[in-house]
Amino acid sequence: MNAAIEIQHLYKTYSRGQWFGGGHETPVLKDVSLVLPANRVLGLVGESGCGKSTLCKVLLGIEKPTSGTVLVENQNVAKISKTQFKNLRRVMQVVYQDPYSSLDPRMTVRQLLSEPLDIHGLYPQKTARTKFLKELLSAVGLAPNYLERYPHEFSGGQRQRISIARALTLDPKILIADEPVSALDVSVQAQILNLLRDISRARKLAMLFVTHDFAVARFLCDDIAVMYQGRIVEKAPAQELFTHPLHPYTRMLLAAVPQVGKKMRGASTPAAACGPNTEGACSFASRCPQAGSACRQTQLQEITPQHWCACSHLPEGENK
Amino acid sequence: MVVSPVLQVCDLQVSFMMQKRAYPVLRELSYNLLPGRILAVVGESGSGKTVHALSLLGLLPPAAHVSRGKILYRDTDLLTMPRARLRDVRGSKISMIFQDPSASLNPVLTVGEQLIETLRAHKPMSKQQAREEAVRLLEKVGIADAPARLSAYPFEFSGGMCQRVMIAMALALSPDILIADEPTTALDVTIQAQILHLIRELQQKEKMAVIFITHNLALASEIADEVLVLYGGLCMEQAPAKDLFEDPHHPYTKGLLASLVSMDRRVERLPAIAGQPPMAGEITKGCPFASRCPQAQEKCRQQLPPLTQQGIRMVRCFEEKTL
Ligand SMILES: Nc1ncnc2c1ncn2[C@@H]1O[C@H](COP(=O)(O)OP(=O)(O)OP(=O)(O)O)[C@@H](O)[C@H]1O
Ligand SMILES: Nc1ncnc2c1ncn2[C@@H]1O[C@H](COP(=O)(O)OP(=O)(O)OP(=O)(O)O)[C@@H](O)[C@H]1O
Ligand SMILES: [Mg+2]
Ligand SMILES: [Mg+2]
Repeated sequence: MNAAIEIQHLYKTYSRGQWFGGGHETPVLKDVSLVLPANRVLGLVGESGCGKSTLCKVLLGIEKPTSGTVLVENQNVAKISKTQFKNLRRVMQVVYQDPYSSLDPRMTVRQLLSEPLDIHGLYPQKTARTKFLKELLSAVGLAPNYLERYPHEFSGGQRQRISIARALTLDPKILIADEPVSALDVSVQAQILNLLRDISRARKLAMLFVTHDFAVARFLCDDIAVMYQGRIVEKAPAQELFTHPLHPYTRMLLAAVPQVGKKMRGASTPAAACGPNTEGACSFASRCPQAGSACRQTQLQEITPQHWCACSHLPEGENK
Repeated sequence: MVVSPVLQVCDLQVSFMMQKRAYPVLRELSYNLLPGRILAVVGESGSGKTVHALSLLGLLPPAAHVSRGKILYRDTDLLTMPRARLRDVRGSKISMIFQDPSASLNPVLTVGEQLIETLRAHKPMSKQQAREEAVRLLEKVGIADAPARLSAYPFEFSGGMCQRVMIAMALALSPDILIADEPTTALDVTIQAQILHLIRELQQKEKMAVIFITHNLALASEIADEVLVLYGGLCMEQAPAKDLFEDPHHPYTKGLLASLVSMDRRVERLPAIAGQPPMAGEITKGCPFASRCPQAQEKCRQQLPPLTQQGIRMVRCFEEKTL
């Protein structure tokens, strides 16, 4: 299988300089290894603050990894020249969660979509460019005559379509989508998800799709990786993950998904971790219904073909 | 026993000035909120949910103003209340969790400083007491390693963590009314459940009333007593949560429920309501949903249907309930 992105033993620690009062280190990503195959959609699911956006930032070269390697289209992101990096950014584009702050309010849709084209010197001729931009707008389901409008004239869903159009201007091979539909209401969300699916198929995109919504992940993703406090704790093909969730955290997440018609039960999910964890222990141990707080199983193991899990407390019948 | 409402909204209208003309973005909104009840406000992006919440607190942006109506908090009109009193009410009696947490946290103060300041501004306590309370609050919203995290700045928190700090601040003073604008969009479901329990607890123990703004229908169904559906600045349907979800009457509510992404099976395509919502400032003569409504008739495009009582619910549609 051809890898669009390959992440090997990635660590990321944010450190605060001395001048901010005593150097302080926050380890965020811990030994993350993941492969995003070409032409597939990989879902990254995990709790707030676990490091999903940080991972995206490292992939996009916005943050430097502390150690480990990131290969995008087989090139080591940390070791390439500025020009090579510029080319990589052409291959790899991003859509952010917030359709409000990610578009410059002073620019018209035409200017927003033209910016990446200008940087790369594409479609310099005006009529050809206009034709291209109009096609792009129709591809994301917007009327071509919206080109001269400003972002604030659009609703959240429409703005998110503009962000997607912008990400597609350079005909990328890889799309990083950091919670692109979380801020949208259900009917708009459904439209955008359908759009992302159509586009990823039509353009043979590899997509890393960050979300905390399992239903959305199930619809869109081929494979799913579950992250907890900076570690991948489970990964599997989507169908397999939903039918046989193994890690206690994954199972807890699946059980807590709100559903129409289901009234809130009593406090069922154990509260998020409060104290610091035992050194070397699994970071989920303090919330885990199965393990003791000193459980040390943190290495991913292949339990069944292609289904990896970093836990030895598997549900009945799933033990190897 | 008759319980009187903590909040009464009567015929509220909010308008934006655009190119020197006033455009209403919220019209004819009326409801009563009883103590200890949770009202969910759901609706499409741009339907006026946030504008509605901001108007309750007198926090509308400069381009907007309340152009009609009353907002009564325990029988006093918030709209005519002197600024200083309003600020006081806003601080301690009515709290709000804003949709955009990064905009409402001060970037140059640490999370701890902000929490402690809020607490001390409204409650007599020492620095040390406020500090302990702040730690307790952060733990309640599931922030690990809370004592150490007090000295972090907002940019060092993830989106969801900032959102939780906002929640902690809003709940710190046990308000009478909590207005929560999309409070859990950035949170995973386990933390979301924890936050909902926290809100529930205050609602039950302290009789806190809650206006819960969300686009997550499943969430609204789990937490709310009553649901109000907004579309194009108008209330389309209002009903007890159970009735609304089991048997939606308005075509828009039906469309919303049909667009829910299912967890149980994988589908090839998601059903979505066709078409686009009205653009900002676009006011149609008839029902704003008419252009997307599968049941629309000529009449719907000509004339705005009134909000009428249908049993225990209010519905804005000419079509009597269809099956
Ligand atoms: N610039 C920074 N300096 C220090 N710590 C940071 C910085 N940015 C993020 N962090 C920390 O890194 C951790 C992961 O943050 P990140 O934004 O990657 O989370 P996330 O998984 O995207 O969460 P969310 O779902 O809430 O967006 C958090 O504990 C956060 O406090
Ligand atoms: N500063 C502004 N200037 C002009 N129009 C505005 C402004 N802020 C909001 N509006 C318009 O007011 C209407 C209601 O917006 P509001 O923010 O209340 O929507 P919402 O229901 O909260 O949507 P979302 O789910 O996206 O948060 C929209 O049509 C919006 O375009
Ligand atoms: Mg994030
Ligand atoms: Mg809003």
